[in-house]
Amino acid sequence: MTQISPTTAAPQSAEMIETLEYAVDPLRRRRGLRGWLRGDGPHMLVFLIPLLFSFILFSWRPIVDAAIMAFQRTNLIDPAEWVGLDNFVTVLQDPLLGTAVVNTLWFAVLALLMGYPIPLVVAVLMSEVRRWRGVFSALAYLPVVVPPVVAALLWKFFYDASSSGVFNTIIGAVGIPPQPWLQDQATAMPSIVLFATWSAAGGTIIIYLAALVGVAPELYDAAEVDGAGVWRKVWHVTVPQLRGVLLVMFILQIIGTAQVFLEPFLLTGGGPANSTMTILMLIYKYAFQNSLGGDYGAATALSIMLAIVLAIFSAIYFRLTKGWSSS
Amino acid sequence: MSAVDEKVVARRRGAPAKDADRGILSTADWRRRRVRATTRVTHLILLASLIVVGLGPVLWLAKSAVTPTQDTLRQPLALWPNGMDWENLVTAWTRVEIDKYFFNTVIIALGVWFVQVLVATTAGYVLSVLRPRYGRIIVALVLATLFVPSIVLLVPLYLTIVDPPLLQHSLINTFWAVWLPAGASAFTVLLVMRFFDSLPREVFEAARIDGAGPYRLFWSVVLPMSKPIVGVVSVFAVIGAWKDFLWPMLVLKDPNLQPLSVRLPQLQQFIELDVFLAALAIATVIPIALFLVFQRMFLSGAGLGGAVKG
Amino acid sequence: MKSAITRVGLAGVAMVSAGALLAGCAGGPTEEPADGTATIQVAIDAGLEPEARANFDARVAAFEDANPDITVEAQEYTWTAPTFTTDLAGGTLPDVFTIPFTDGRGLIANGQLADISELVAELPYADQFNPNVAQAGQAEDGAQWAIPIAAYGQGLHYNRTLFEAAGLDPDSPPTTWDEIRDAAKQISNATGEAGYATMTSGNTGGWILTTLVNAFGGRTESGDATAPTLDSDPAVAEVLEYLHALRWEDESMGANFLYDWGTINQDFASGRIGMYVSGGGNYGNLVTQNALNPDDYGLTVLPLQGADPGLLGGGTLAAVSPKASEVEQAAAVKWIDFYYLAKLTDETAVVETAELAASLDQPVGAPELPIFDQAQFEQYQSWIAPFVNVPVDQMAPYTDAIFDQPLIAEPRVATQDVYALLDTVVQAVLTDRNADIQKLLTDAQAQAEALYTKAG
Repeated sequence: MTQISPTTAAPQSAEMIETLEYAVDPLRRRRGLRGWLRGDGPHMLVFLIPLLFSFILFSWRPIVDAAIMAFQRTNLIDPAEWVGLDNFVTVLQDPLLGTAVVNTLWFAVLALLMGYPIPLVVAVLMSEVRRWRGVFSALAYLPVVVPPVVAALLWKFFYDASSSGVFNTIIGAVGIPPQPWLQDQATAMPSIVLFATWSAAGGTIIIYLAALVGVAPELYDAAEVDGAGVWRKVWHVTVPQLRGVLLVMFILQIIGTAQVFLEPFLLTGGGPANSTMTILMLIYKYAFQNSLGGDYGAATALSIMLAIVLAIFSAIYFRLTKGWSSS
Repeated sequence: MSAVDEKVVARRRGAPAKDADRGILSTADWRRRRVRATTRVTHLILLASLIVVGLGPVLWLAKSAVTPTQDTLRQPLALWPNGMDWENLVTAWTRVEIDKYFFNTVIIALGVWFVQVLVATTAGYVLSVLRPRYGRIIVALVLATLFVPSIVLLVPLYLTIVDPPLLQHSLINTFWAVWLPAGASAFTVLLVMRFFDSLPREVFEAARIDGAGPYRLFWSVVLPMSKPIVGVVSVFAVIGAWKDFLWPMLVLKDPNLQPLSVRLPQLQQFIELDVFLAALAIATVIPIALFLVFQRMFLSGAGLGGAVKG
Repeated sequence: MKSAITRVGLAGVAMVSAGALLAGCAGGPTEEPADGTATIQVAIDAGLEPEARANFDARVAAFEDANPDITVEAQEYTWTAPTFTTDLAGGTLPDVFTIPFTDGRGLIANGQLADISELVAELPYADQFNPNVAQAGQAEDGAQWAIPIAAYGQGLHYNRTLFEAAGLDPDSPPTTWDEIRDAAKQISNATGEAGYATMTSGNTGGWILTTLVNAFGGRTESGDATAPTLDSDPAVAEVLEYLHALRWEDESMGANFLYDWGTINQDFASGRIGMYVSGGGNYGNLVTQNALNPDDYGLTVLPLQGADPGLLGGGTLAAVSPKASEVEQAAAVKWIDFYYLAKLTDETAVVETAELAASLDQPVGAPELPIFDQAQFEQYQSWIAPFVNVPVDQMAPYTDAIFDQPLIAEPRVATQDVYALLDTVVQAVLTDRNADIQKLLTDAQAQAEALYTKAG
């Protein structure tokens, strides 16, 4: 690695100093086109080309297109026609929208209940393991490594509701009667959340573990001097130190679960009787499950509404938690 | 007992070697038998749970891959009551052609990795090190895309791929259709930017003083220093590409190009259960093998390399 | 230090690239060769065995010899409803492709198929199509926009082995719906497997529900196809009550209900289902792809009861992409005639296809319905007779009675979308003991009416 020693070569000319200041001073004043050209201006653009190329073509332009499509009706063959707010009205009047919103919220709540505390507890326990931590980490992370499609298809089989289904056989061994799992409207969503938790908890555990390891030991020493036992230490030192990570993981989890799609899609297709249909599945249904040409207007309208809700939620969340992070 | 002996005993009990190395439990805690015993038991229970929950399904899949359909259906937990059926694996490999789809998955992952690293490092460099005046606008625009659910982009993105500007030729059924859009990942760009923000400015200043132009600065100074974050980005990129399902399904129509994630659910319609499970097992072997070999990189990347601090 | 000119150059390049990207020039129109030759992309099934592919290539060569101004390119393509529109917009649709009957009229109404009716009218057998079958590919005015190439009627598939295990005679399957109910109960009591199962997801729930409604003597759509009749036709509620009884009183439907076409075939082939309703030609899929033991297989007709029962039919249509030019359309119709219809009407082609299929251990002689008339159909059967390798005796209850059953077309308006609605209804009945059937139907009717209004 080329090391440019900071002690070599003092500035050699006024021009050099100017370039240096220009490069590293973020508050530099306008120098006019000449100055920009002479400085790093064009080079910065060159470095920006990959980003601009990717984002303009594959992110910003499509977002703008989607926003436009939300106010149009098109079957992709004839030119699009403007329909104003019709698509939004269609979506808001769709009885399935209420179902999808409720289901998505239900998924989010269940996922928080199952998927938020468990990784934390496991990570705290694991942080005390000294020599075998690698084994623990590997085992915890293994489900994340299994490709999600494979995992979903596997769990779909596990959830077979007959008495010889895998899970029913297991619980049958301890005397519990066979459960309907995915085949019943009340148990379908919890079953999906259980799978989603299994699949993703490993990643969260590792993130918490990395943060836990970073907690300064002196804090624990100080707590012990004050006479804190193990539980007290966890509650008063560990958790507060992790606050930043916990907060970030919380909002990430909310945003992620609001967009859940793959698990219900592969496990139940939205059933039984739409009890696992989520907002994103509804969007997909509008766009891609209408065999006579998707209703892209409705799909993009709903996507935009979801995006706005998430944005508002995130803004409120950050406002509320501004003072809580310890960073 | 001398201090050295104490430390040895403590270490054998599983305690940290030095007090500075400690976690929640101090060396004093470790000395108390009740704490030690409770912790040991808890760890054993945790280990057992992790084995059953984490490893169990994978082991079951491995077992069922060589079990005939009827046995899997009637006695799913039994260990080969009627003998193994290795034919399943052979059929999966030949008739189902898992190797071809795995190869496609790898190619896609490599391309995505390259594109993401390229975009993220160049963008992070400009926005964090060179810092043009309009940089803040670009960062805001990039950040804004994080809030847009990806399904919003699906149709317009598809149409862009079908009819790309400048190219009079559709990119459908080419790997470019999956590689190129992968670069527009705000998360990756911001991750790298934050990392570069945390690098010491003095090194850059010094390099500039030594006469390094922006390209030299990037290539010889910034890039070598960014190995940790490139590792993290790589892990995310590869895992993301491996998992991707809806987008490749839409743009890769030719079955010869499809990755495993797209092909496996479709295959379920066409093959019997035991061969299907064998195909799933084969599809899982390689990611798991890679994980076991590159464990450290996976786990440090997954922990975000400490990039997410409290 | 670089010169100012280089800097300007670099800046310029960067600006222009960004600008061009933003501008996003549109693609140019497809060029048509001026000399009247046409190149058409035709769909073939994915995953063909090498011999089948070789046979296909041979057919292509023969066609190109007979039509020197046409070049045929094969494209592996399987039509699926969800990706169809994007395929069409994206230009990845082949010029010739096949679609199921269900979607034919909808696509035609939407203008998503090419209007080849005039070209079809010029074919020698244009007026010999079985009218029940042909209407699936017709527009409102009766013009034939898509050509039927295969047809089947629904049937009741049953597992002979499970019948025997339950003490039932596999050679005399049930002939009324009550008998089916009794048989289901016996099977589930004796063997613990599902006596009767039904599809419920991916629009198949509505499809099979409509099938049963028709068999019970009702319809899900008014005669003039202007309104749905989900809550007004008593047969609909009757079928749901029937399913409810089988599920909750008899408990003879097993424990898994989220079946679609592929998964129910899988479970039937592995011996977990006693009886189910599906297309009559499923034998092929069950044996080659789901490893069904041929000895287990039995097929019989659906019992018909009630005022005006009929058998729901289905099939496959060959269609042309609306983006094909006139020259390409003409070429496409010639191809359809040569490749798909010759397999039914030209003795050499028929025998060759049957021989190839038999050599590849693919089923020959699985039950089908005639595309043309009965006489032509019987002639076809006689041609393939030497190669038939399916257990025809086990399918006799179906093949003997099928031609006496009146054939009904699928509902004409918003077919798939109404099926999707009915999926939910059937799933609710099967997963909620206290499902209020009347309310479910009223809600479904309201939503279906909205679909009918939207479709105009």
